[in-house]
Amino acid sequence: MTAPPARPRSLHTRTILVLAMRNLSRQARRTMLTAAVMVLGGALLIFSFAIGDGSHENWIDSGIRTSSGHVTVEQPQFRVSRKLEDRLTSAQRGEAERALAMPDIAPLVVAVSSRLRIGGLASSAAGARPAQILAVDPVAEARFSTLDDQVVEGRYLEPDDRLAAFIGVGLASSLELRIGSRLVVQAQDTENEIAAQLLRVVGIFRNGVPEVDQTVVHIPLQVAGEWLGSDEDVTNVGVVLQGSEAVGPVTRHLETTLAEPITRGEVRVMGWREANPALAAAIAIDDFGNYLVFGILFLIIAFGIVNAVLMSVLHRHREFGVLQALGLTPGQTGAIVLVEGLTLTAVSGFVGVSLGLVATWYFLGDGLDMSALVGEDMTFSGVVIDPVIVPLFRAVRIAQVVTFIVAIGAVASIYPALRAARIDIAEAMKFER
Amino acid sequence: MTESNIPAVRTEGVWKIFQQEAEEVQAVRDVSVTIERGEFTALAGPSGSGKTTLLNLIGGLTPPTRGRVWVAGQEVSEMSNQALAQLRLEQVGFIFQAYNLLPVLTAMENAEFPMLLQGLAAEERATRVRELFARTGMAGLEDRRPGKLSGGQQQRVAVVRAVASRPALVLADEPTANLDSASSEALLDVMAELNRDLGVTFVFATHDARVMGRARRLVQMVDGRIDSDETRA
Repeated sequence: MTAPPARPRSLHTRTILVLAMRNLSRQARRTMLTAAVMVLGGALLIFSFAIGDGSHENWIDSGIRTSSGHVTVEQPQFRVSRKLEDRLTSAQRGEAERALAMPDIAPLVVAVSSRLRIGGLASSAAGARPAQILAVDPVAEARFSTLDDQVVEGRYLEPDDRLAAFIGVGLASSLELRIGSRLVVQAQDTENEIAAQLLRVVGIFRNGVPEVDQTVVHIPLQVAGEWLGSDEDVTNVGVVLQGSEAVGPVTRHLETTLAEPITRGEVRVMGWREANPALAAAIAIDDFGNYLVFGILFLIIAFGIVNAVLMSVLHRHREFGVLQALGLTPGQTGAIVLVEGLTLTAVSGFVGVSLGLVATWYFLGDGLDMSALVGEDMTFSGVVIDPVIVPLFRAVRIAQVVTFIVAIGAVASIYPALRAARIDIAEAMKFER
Repeated sequence: MTESNIPAVRTEGVWKIFQQEAEEVQAVRDVSVTIERGEFTALAGPSGSGKTTLLNLIGGLTPPTRGRVWVAGQEVSEMSNQALAQLRLEQVGFIFQAYNLLPVLTAMENAEFPMLLQGLAAEERATRVRELFARTGMAGLEDRRPGKLSGGQQQRVAVVRAVASRPALVLADEPTANLDSASSEALLDVMAELNRDLGVTFVFATHDARVMGRARRLVQMVDGRIDSDETRA
């Protein structure tokens, strides 16, 4: 008798695949049930990530627009001192603005607003209140901030405005101010002297964050320059970007372009995480909570797969014995089980991810209205939370979810595969009467 | 020694001892036997006499506790799992009492399976199986899955699967135990014909008088030992 040819690997791979596929279809109900769990898990994960990312992006957008932007260029000491003397000169401001207008970075930039932010006192005949005075270019600030969309009375500042003030509803209430009312603001000027400026209220806004509504006063930058002697100097150049993912490249670009004043200690570039550590921490905590829930969810799913694949292995004890008696190696026998588990998770993962993407796409336009649950005026960490969450699609999330699902499929199939590989053939073949 | 002179099976002082809880069970005790190529041998004996265990030892399905086993000149007792799988694939065909066809494959695919693993071309596999199906009265049932075949038909597919890859040896464990008389006789006719025409070596473990009656050599086992070894004309 002549020896048969050596066993070709590709043939065995095909045989293993065929057996695995047919075994999956043999237990159609069990396969469908396990797949349904995986599909649901995958869809839920994709949609939850999109909702989580969307709401975080919403928090970030809301937070950075009422503060210093996705990226801010400042004098290094200003964030601590909050003093006018720690400001950017008009030359440094111009340099930053030119850097942001460069063609390789400009497409990422939505708005740039150079502002002078100072602490002072706002007073009227009814009394005086501490105020955060923000001197702005009205046109640039209207693109940067959302306050111009939150007008409840009057209007936002306009380029020709002189001695105009746009104030929060809380401040208007406590100082009994209306449109056209006179308001005096006082602050330390560049000579460290207390200087006062008379203004007229042109508009009142309601932001929803009490701290903003009770203290913020927008005035034209030109008025502040004359009042405080700061001319065209500013305390920060704030930048709003297409999304928070652009913070890295824009920050690096600015750090490269402004390398000289940065080295001299005159300028500092900060991303929103550094500028708003409370918001960054809130998002990190929320993310951690989400990952924890997803982790537990997928642990449960993993046990479901282990159970399904293991039950299938135990029911086919004799069959694995036959396969090995016919010449399949223990490794090849285990490979059948592994392929079954991986195929099941890969296919159901694909369907689940697709369903999750469809659900995400469905809510991309109008978002998911959560106002019935959280109300209309929810604030968190100094940020107004929009109750309508628009999911955010990120390709990296698909890669993460697919990797996660396949990894779970592989891990959950390893034990059943080992059981199949390590079978005692003689024991498995025993005839049970 | 030429290949044709090498016995299909040789065992030398083989023991198989199982540990069942605290008790030691000597299933096979000091068995030395040689089975030449082309034999039609029955290992007979009552339940528990060790015939299935001896069959498993010969087929490399379980390792001996002591002693040595050769199949087609290759020593089985010292082989790795990988080498044993290769030996079973190339040299041994199995027929089981419970048929043990793979339920997800058709009759044709079941019969082809060992040859598929051997890497034989599809055409060659199909030719061999179709010829054997014709011999065994299975022609026309190639595409049926085991669940759609009678016990006798399933066992005939198992016989075809065991012999189609042209092994040196076919080990059949109680192949007729689940069959009625007519099916048993038909199956034995098929195996005797394959033995006679193709020179396939058959070793049966059985307590079926019909099988023992057909065997040209009858090895009687009692309590794990060979009690008698009778060759008939």
